[in-house]
Amino acid sequence: MKKLLYCVLCITGLLFCSISCMEEQDFDQIDDLNITPTLASGIFYLESDEQTINSAGALGSFYFQEVTFKAFNEQYVAERLIEGTITYEMENTTSKTLRIIVEFLNEGGGVLDVERFDIEANSPSVVERSVFYGVGGKNIDILSNTSSLRVTADNLGDGSSVSSDGDPKVIFRSGAEFLFQLK
Amino acid sequence: MAPKFILIALFVCATGFAQNKEILYDFYEIPQSLMVNPGVKTSQKWHVGIPVLSGLSVQGATSGVTVNDLFANDGVDFTTKVQERLLSVMTNKDDFSTTSQIEAFTVGFRGKNRPDDYYSFGMYGEMDIISYLPKDLATLAFEGNGGANLGRSFDLGDLVLRGEMVNVLHFGINRKVDQSLTIGGRAKIYSSIFQFQSINNSGSFVTREGQDNVYESSINADMQLQTAGVKGFYDIIEEDTGTTKKDVKSLFTKRVLLGGNLGFGIDFGFSYNLNPQTTITGSVLDLGFISNSKDVWNYTFAGSTTTDGISVVLPEDIDDVDNDLWQELIDEIDAALPHGENQSGYISWRPVKVYGSVRYDFGQGGNGSIFDNCGCAVNGGGGISSTSDYYRNSVGGQLFMIKRPRGVQAALTGFYQRRFGKVLSLKGTYTVDKYTFTNIGLGANFQMGPVNFYVLADNLLSYSNIADSHYASLQFGFNIISWNGN
Repeated sequence: MKKLLYCVLCITGLLFCSISCMEEQDFDQIDDLNITPTLASGIFYLESDEQTINSAGALGSFYFQEVTFKAFNEQYVAERLIEGTITYEMENTTSKTLRIIVEFLNEGGGVLDVERFDIEANSPSVVERSVFYGVGGKNIDILSNTSSLRVTADNLGDGSSVSSDGDPKVIFRSGAEFLFQLK
Repeated sequence: MAPKFILIALFVCATGFAQNKEILYDFYEIPQSLMVNPGVKTSQKWHVGIPVLSGLSVQGATSGVTVNDLFANDGVDFTTKVQERLLSVMTNKDDFSTTSQIEAFTVGFRGKNRPDDYYSFGMYGEMDIISYLPKDLATLAFEGNGGANLGRSFDLGDLVLRGEMVNVLHFGINRKVDQSLTIGGRAKIYSSIFQFQSINNSGSFVTREGQDNVYESSINADMQLQTAGVKGFYDIIEEDTGTTKKDVKSLFTKRVLLGGNLGFGIDFGFSYNLNPQTTITGSVLDLGFISNSKDVWNYTFAGSTTTDGISVVLPEDIDDVDNDLWQELIDEIDAALPHGENQSGYISWRPVKVYGSVRYDFGQGGNGSIFDNCGCAVNGGGGISSTSDYYRNSVGGQLFMIKRPRGVQAALTGFYQRRFGKVLSLKGTYTVDKYTFTNIGLGANFQMGPVNFYVLADNLLSYSNIADSHYASLQFGFNIISWNGN
């Protein structure tokens, strides 16, 4: 029975193969598939009212924190990161000049990179800064080795003045857009 | 290598096998036409399909990209081809699917006491897999959520797939009610080998400029993959004990012979002569279900959340000195989007199919009706039955519809059939459906004494480059047919 089955299959197969054609196909092309999506995500958001800043006193730090941040240094991500941009946005409606420092730290606590932002007093319009990582920009390894961020927010002004703005505050935003080699 | 092979195999095999058997339908010289219309006219006294060889069918089509579009050795960058010929052109309604069927055995015989009745029974195996292009998910993987896709909502409901392998035991009755009308019905017991489906997914994923932070991403998802009979095979292969082949064979045999999940379904149909030369027919197939309660393993992913990264608001968070904010964020997202497994049974519906046709016979052949040998006095007598006359030619139209996860798919067929004595009958078809507008098919039925052989092939124009075909199908089989005196 098996022989008969194979015979019939072969004859039918041959019949159709003899009348059908197929252009040359190259299935190895699938190795050339290049998937590089652009991924976007918010990173860190800091907001503080003026009263909190005043509480820290003149020339004092009103925020100091080291937070784990392993978005880029997970092995799967780190190996596939190609290039990207971190965008920072700042608004300051308080009456004092402020400084925000973001330090990129590796696993051992060593500083890989520092971004420093001085924000003028009473500047309600959004100040934006973009930092490019990759060829022509900062080294992408900074991000792939970063396991935590140390964020420091300093008051460079006095500790008592109050802005005339209805709701004086400082807002610090950051987000990343990265090219990722998925395959 | 393995993923590459699987991807290619899936693509090649799954290039849209539809279930339409438009050449076989109402080709009443072939006993297997009973399987697509239990109410087709029958002429034989009995028939027996040669085991495993009585009915083999494989069909294939894709409504979008073809194998040639992607894999032709044309020097175009493969990634460009995927983007321009697949992602940019195809929609989430385009599908890749495959259907294959093999008849284990089939037997038909006319009732001794009721020669108007023709009984048939048998067993066949069927595999049917369909996957729609998850366009939004594919775009998300290819392009990401950033750049031009900021603000774009990706539809998670684009993921729609369904597949099963089932063994079917069936018994049917075909009855000639009068000279004009023949009706038939068939009961089926489904013995499921495996089944999986992910068909009622919903949800979206969007990344936009945030209200607080630069970007915020929102996801809401209600997704589920239901499987029955899959894990049993997976576990055997995973264990790799050295008896894997034997164990798989044993489990497969058990499932084939009613040892797995069971279901029930019916087919019914009719043929009606409007006048001696005009016949209308219709049938409904696989109106049934399978109750999946054994070896069930379902995967769920549901919930909703919005995140814009690590967020610190002073003075509220001034006392929060925890430096593990990143892990807390990940945990929050995980908690908001629980993914789990369960073993809840479920009902899977068979893909219901509907056929209809109108046929006009002409070109009276005079002597030698194909039913002259019937001896059953069923289709060989007088009256107004078109079967009382032997017409060399038939023309007509057929409609086919099938219920698919994303709705009903339809196909329209025009056909011409020519009979050359009792030995040979040819049927040519032209079919329009979502896969192709140039589907020309040809079927041939050979009758050499009691031995019957048929071969039916679709979309012949595509044979000039089969890899560029949107649709391909092949059916063939052997039967032994007896009329009176045979």
